[in-house]
Amino acid sequence: MARLIRTEKEVEGRYEEVWVVVEEDALEQWPAGAREIVGRPATRLDGHERARGEAVYTADLKLPGMLHAAVLRSPHAHARVARIDLAPALALPGVHAAIGPGDIEQLTDACGFQGAAVAAVCADTYAQARAAVAAIDVDWEVLAPLLDPDEAVARGELVGEPRIRSRGDYDRGLAEADVVVEGEYRTQVVLHNSMETHQSVVQWVGDTLEVFISTQYIWGIRDEVAGALGLAPDKVRVVCNYMGGGFGSKNSPDDYTFIAIELATRTHRPVRCALTRREENLATGNRNATIQRLTIGAKADGTLTALGGEYVNATGWSGWSSPVEGPMQMLYACDNVKTTTYGAKINQPPMKAFRAPGFVEGTFGLEALLDVLAARLEIDPLELRRRNHTDHDASDDRPYSGKNLLECYRRAEPHWERRHEVRARSTGTVKRGVGMASQIWYGGGGPPSYAWIRVGSDGHATVVTAMQDIGTGTRTAMAQIAAEELGIPLAHVTVSLGDSARGPFASISAGSSTTPSMGPAVRAAAADARRQIEEIAEQRGTPDASIAEIVELLEDAQILGKGARGPNPAGMQVLTFGVQVAEVAVDVETGEVWVDRVAAVHDVGRVINPLGASSQIEGGIIQGIGHTLSEHRLHDPRTGQILTTSLDAYKLPTFADVPEIVSELVDEPDTHLTNLGSKGLGEPPIVPTAAAIANAIRDATGAEVHELPISREEMLRALREAAAKEKVGAPARV
Amino acid sequence: MELRRASSLDELNGSLLLSGGTELVPLLRNGLLRGDSVVDIRDVVPRGIDGSRIGAGTTLAELECDPQVPEALREACRLAASPQLRNMGSIGGNLLQSTRCWYWRLNWPCRLHGGEECFAHEGEHREHAIFANDFCASAHPSDVAAALLALGATLHTNRRELPLAELYRLPTEDDRMTTTLAEGEVILELDVPAPETSVYLKAMERKRWAFPIVGVAAARTGGETRVALAGVAPIPWLLEGSIDAATPLPRNAYKVDVAKALVRRAEAALHQG
Repeated sequence: MARLIRTEKEVEGRYEEVWVVVEEDALEQWPAGAREIVGRPATRLDGHERARGEAVYTADLKLPGMLHAAVLRSPHAHARVARIDLAPALALPGVHAAIGPGDIEQLTDACGFQGAAVAAVCADTYAQARAAVAAIDVDWEVLAPLLDPDEAVARGELVGEPRIRSRGDYDRGLAEADVVVEGEYRTQVVLHNSMETHQSVVQWVGDTLEVFISTQYIWGIRDEVAGALGLAPDKVRVVCNYMGGGFGSKNSPDDYTFIAIELATRTHRPVRCALTRREENLATGNRNATIQRLTIGAKADGTLTALGGEYVNATGWSGWSSPVEGPMQMLYACDNVKTTTYGAKINQPPMKAFRAPGFVEGTFGLEALLDVLAARLEIDPLELRRRNHTDHDASDDRPYSGKNLLECYRRAEPHWERRHEVRARSTGTVKRGVGMASQIWYGGGGPPSYAWIRVGSDGHATVVTAMQDIGTGTRTAMAQIAAEELGIPLAHVTVSLGDSARGPFASISAGSSTTPSMGPAVRAAAADARRQIEEIAEQRGTPDASIAEIVELLEDAQILGKGARGPNPAGMQVLTFGVQVAEVAVDVETGEVWVDRVAAVHDVGRVINPLGASSQIEGGIIQGIGHTLSEHRLHDPRTGQILTTSLDAYKLPTFADVPEIVSELVDEPDTHLTNLGSKGLGEPPIVPTAAAIANAIRDATGAEVHELPISREEMLRALREAAAKEKVGAPARV
Repeated sequence: MELRRASSLDELNGSLLLSGGTELVPLLRNGLLRGDSVVDIRDVVPRGIDGSRIGAGTTLAELECDPQVPEALREACRLAASPQLRNMGSIGGNLLQSTRCWYWRLNWPCRLHGGEECFAHEGEHREHAIFANDFCASAHPSDVAAALLALGATLHTNRRELPLAELYRLPTEDDRMTTTLAEGEVILELDVPAPETSVYLKAMERKRWAFPIVGVAAARTGGETRVALAGVAPIPWLLEGSIDAATPLPRNAYKVDVAKALVRRAEAALHQG
């Protein structure tokens, strides 16, 4: 039965209180451990289609009569359009329409960052559209850019209000400390760089607008587009069957979709608006840079007495101030914590969510400084973390629905023990070491989410839900859950997804929420179908008959099951935990850093597909190594213009940069959470990687890195600083 | 735009020359080179390795695994670009590639583009030159050129024969070119004398597919040792004297440390080799 409840809704660390209608979740959880299908490795249902190039992505769509849009974007970090004339563009061959500032909200004449959309053109070919954009006659009034985040904070140029979070008495906590350590840490702008760039293809079919889009949130696109156009929501059909990657920047329709819609409306033709790689690296969001000024106070036995942080998110021109203080607030037991977080509004491209936004950055600073404390107190870093473990949410006293971080630590021990052997392999110039860092993040998902299931006389089942699989393998996980509950082979389950007109509402694929939100709904739908089949068996007088035997009776009749995601446990904090142990080698003369091995142990409740889960862990760690060592979006310090818009200048990791990755999951169902006990794993693996590597570097060399990426420049600086310290600290010669 | 395939060197008449295309195509696409006509020269430029003679059309992939090729050149090829790029890119084209300076690549009106200012000087220059960077701080990206410079290679063009060092010139107020190649002049072959021993070491920002932060080639030929560097000056840089003579900019002094370490190691490797 549906119930109306008041609940907290969380996406990527942001909470809101909402009324939601939820369904009861009456199913008992399966007992812990691998089952017939759930908990056993399954290759992707769509692996062959993808590998053979048959899967149709938004980028592959060619609708009859489709026009191509190109966008004029501000080349300046801060500028006003003094005058614009679209006529020269319209005069060129193949051009069908042109729009500029004022035509739609997303086109502006007041540009606060390089890449802000100003005008757009559509033409028969993309090359014609590009040429037409180049022909648009614009007078730019270039304005002085504000680029320094600290200066923006000082001037009160902020995105949102400063966020002050305090508990206990921070000053008293510092006074009680035997040791106080401080450090300033900086993280850089990181770009998502999904393989498939942001894009939409739209067309009007009668009075319905069809939007084919590379998105993480089919239903959000539907609602936002319908709202903007004043349409009934279901007059917008949103389709995303296959997707070439999404890491947080594809949650909303954005300028390219509204540009395509306006041009399609004006031309009565389908319109594609697909961003180039260079536009992708300017205008589609980023993990913003941060500055973190941190203080930790502790007793001699390692007990934390005070945690303090002043954080600046260099948010860019718009966006939101990510929860960079989250790890300091939540990861450890400490009575006295005070953090202040500013979102600095500067003339740089806006941030967007990027795989555990804030927590990746905040974990780097906190966990690096915690190792400085461990060294000062001469306490083993793993032991120091154990001593400050908390068994309830330290920030709001709520109990956890489930937490197995101590078990993660226990399982990490053999990896941690390797440090003696690793260090012993150091040479005169290549120093080796091992470092670790803890992980905390969300990932519980939530209601609402729905699934239908259809079972035919052939004993095959089709799961129908309008969710998206953004490349994580959730399509396969949903099939496993349905097959398990129905008791039929995995090969007999098809999953139909990716179309708002062909299935019920489904969760956003952000905040590690797809599996924990959708999985319970799919299981409930399968259980509903199974119950109906069992009822037929009872009526037939063969209650023990197999599903296959009963469904044979159906002929053209079908069993239709439906299921919904129940509520999250009331009054409980649902979080994911883990630990990573990194082994590195540092060439102390050239500053080169190799990551040799990363062992990851995460606790995300029940694991549906161990193969998919290990892929997620590997992907998170590889992406983490990228922002730890080589990825750096640079801008010109005078003009604010972006310098690294191509993939030779912006250095993603290559396969040669990938270390040995050992992944392990605690795989204990969260007994309070849904009929599955599963949490999400999309984000957790990227959270502690940078910190673990930085701590391994410290272990290897004694050098304290303070900036990401750990470039040669930063590595050599840290080594010089460590050498100077050692000189000062060395006992005088007698 | 017209693309033709040349069957003789007389058919080039001012066109842009295409070999592997790994540099030319991006330059055209990004508006850094303009022209109506492109000539594919792969039928008229020699390709292949015969002792010390190397056809300018030979790909980096062919060079990196041929035992006739001196170690420094093989290693410079192996550490350059990616397998896909090395399968296409020719050694002649590699010598003529342009800087990766982001200001130049983004078509800022810098000195190398004929403008009045080197934007890297006051701007973002962590990948830039530490030698001869006064007028223009761009860094020459060719690993291969540094190796050939150390190896004392000679070039044969359709007009002349010249030591590799004479292919390059530092840009000046009066002439912004970084090579001495004349209009219509094509590199046809290289002569790479066999060294007693040689080595190439490269520091980059990831393990593969990156231009050098610093590349160091060292070779001993006829008892004489030559050391040349990639990524440290607007042209491939023959080291005469010490790295201490470098004139780094505020944010690229770390390259001096890296260069010192690699030069020391390269020289040690020669000693052992």
